[in-house]
Amino acid sequence: MHPLHRRTLQRLPASLALALVLFAPGFAAALELRELIRHVEQQYHGTSSHARTEMRVRTEHWQRSLEMEAWSLERDRFLVRILAPAKERGVATLKVDKEVWNYLPRVDRVIKVPPSMMGGAWMGSHITNDDLVKASHVDEDYTFTLLEESPEHYLIECLPKVNAAVVWGKIVYEILKPQLVPGTVTYFDEGMFAVREILFADVRTTGGRTLPMRMTVRPLDKPGEETVLQYQEITFDVPLTAAFFSLRTLKER
Amino acid sequence: MLWRLALRNIWRNKRRTALTVSAMVVSSSLLILALGIFSGMLSDMLASATEQYFGHLVVSVTGYQDDRDFFDNFSPDPELLERIASNPGVRGISPRLRTFGLVSHGQSSNPGEILGVEPASERQVTRLQEKIVAGSYLADNPETGALIGRGLAERLGVNPGDELVFVTQAADGSIGNDLFTVRGIFSTGDSRHDNGLVLVGLSALQRLTVLPGRVHELAASLEDPMTAGATAEQLNRQLPEGLEATDWGQLLPEMQEAIAASDVSRLIIVSILYFATGLGILNTFFMSVMERTREFGILMALGMRPWRVRAMVLLETLAMGGVSLALGIALGLALSLYMATVGIDLSETITPITYAGGTIAPRLRVVMEAANFIVPSLLLLAVCLLAGFLPANRAAGLDPVAAIRED
Repeated sequence: MHPLHRRTLQRLPASLALALVLFAPGFAAALELRELIRHVEQQYHGTSSHARTEMRVRTEHWQRSLEMEAWSLERDRFLVRILAPAKERGVATLKVDKEVWNYLPRVDRVIKVPPSMMGGAWMGSHITNDDLVKASHVDEDYTFTLLEESPEHYLIECLPKVNAAVVWGKIVYEILKPQLVPGTVTYFDEGMFAVREILFADVRTTGGRTLPMRMTVRPLDKPGEETVLQYQEITFDVPLTAAFFSLRTLKER
Repeated sequence: MLWRLALRNIWRNKRRTALTVSAMVVSSSLLILALGIFSGMLSDMLASATEQYFGHLVVSVTGYQDDRDFFDNFSPDPELLERIASNPGVRGISPRLRTFGLVSHGQSSNPGEILGVEPASERQVTRLQEKIVAGSYLADNPETGALIGRGLAERLGVNPGDELVFVTQAADGSIGNDLFTVRGIFSTGDSRHDNGLVLVGLSALQRLTVLPGRVHELAASLEDPMTAGATAEQLNRQLPEGLEATDWGQLLPEMQEAIAASDVSRLIIVSILYFATGLGILNTFFMSVMERTREFGILMALGMRPWRVRAMVLLETLAMGGVSLALGIALGLALSLYMATVGIDLSETITPITYAGGTIAPRLRVVMEAANFIVPSLLLLAVCLLAGFLPANRAAGLDPVAAIRED
């Protein structure tokens, strides 16, 4: 057996079918690429997940570090709550489908993020509210072309579908073999200038999955700025129902 | 002798003279009124742009007025405030902090601009206190009071006494958020402010944005808005490094162009109206000269030189012009005074129009300006002389023998 095949077969059953599709020669290429992107974009979600993360943000104007707890269910439900620092403890974000709400404990109010503010920074980081909503739908909104395949990686170019409501002109994924984890994802604006990249690192096997535990977002137009999201703990297939992702849960401290 | 002859001639045909004079009186007085209303509109526009929001000139970090970068803030030390206030003509200075964010009430939220002000200082720079349609202006110590534009208030469904939540990115990257209470609702007629502006206390906004003691601009009002350019220039020589003074002409270049264009438009209006009036006068004098052909012939046969005939006719027109002018100015002044103090309110029938960054209020009101009287007066005299010149030439060029024989 081909060594690559053997290694992939050792992976999770969930990835098995995907891997088979990917490595079976002569298979419909576009479909494979879509599955691959879908797999990468949902690596932190699973059916359901529960994680603790640390986010470090460095910008020209501030540096901050947040500890957060996050839950997700499928690709459409997501809840994250700040644990530290004390000043921001309890600030929480809920995403259900394409909508985002923030809970602000200081004023004890839930604010829905209006469409005009979706491009705004999330929690003072380089991640936008749009990222929370749209990243998980890349496989639906884009078409895919394999730019390059080498023994180390795949390079996949994603171009938006004609009618897709997306913010990027192009996304290029570098997906590392053999674990099929992302290496670098580069985002291009409508003028096809690279404006942002996300670097993945610290690949570990946790909760039965092999994942990069660190994600670094770098805006390319602002050298020196970055947001680092470090997963400290992540477990999958936790018992969560859709009812958990409610405004009421959002307001619990 | 010429004067006596000229005056006698004027009084000979009283009806014709009365008609000509009244045409000149009506045209000049209406012109004075129209120009006054025109000035009134411009001054409303300028006031709406400067006295409702910008101020006449603004001191801020160099470049701030171009992109309103949140981080282009500074600490206004008392010495700086004093230095600006000591400039002649400065009426008031208001320190302001500005941020953009989400204004929310209940389920509805809207993007908005939040301006942190010290109400006592702000009142000397802008006149929002005169634009309150519900509730009241901010108290001198506003705490969590907020003043909100009418359009925004309607969108959010808030009334005085209701709470507002304001959410924005603070200077340390955290989510700045706080509760405010609507104190009053203002309506300026400028949709950009009515639909998106909220005023709160400066210290409350500094706390919310984690910018203690910082401001984005010092807005100043002047006794005479037209001196803003010169005052800004003078300030720019005194200000510390990194700060600049910007006058309303730079903040609102369209407005400055509109005002510069007004001098040209004034001249065009005057020319059109006086062209018509001038033709009327020309007609009258030609008629009166033709009727007197024999008379001129006799005068010249008696030895009057042609230039004296010409001067006599010109004196007639000048005398009528002078009388018309006196009456016209008097009438124009009376009409203008009435329109300056009472005016006509059109808000029932038309809505405010925003143009060149200012708002034209739905009212007719006169602002008195010397040029509005001087330009029509001088031009009326010029038109009179011009209209008298052709008939006078004709009279002077008559052959006495032929003229006497004419019927």
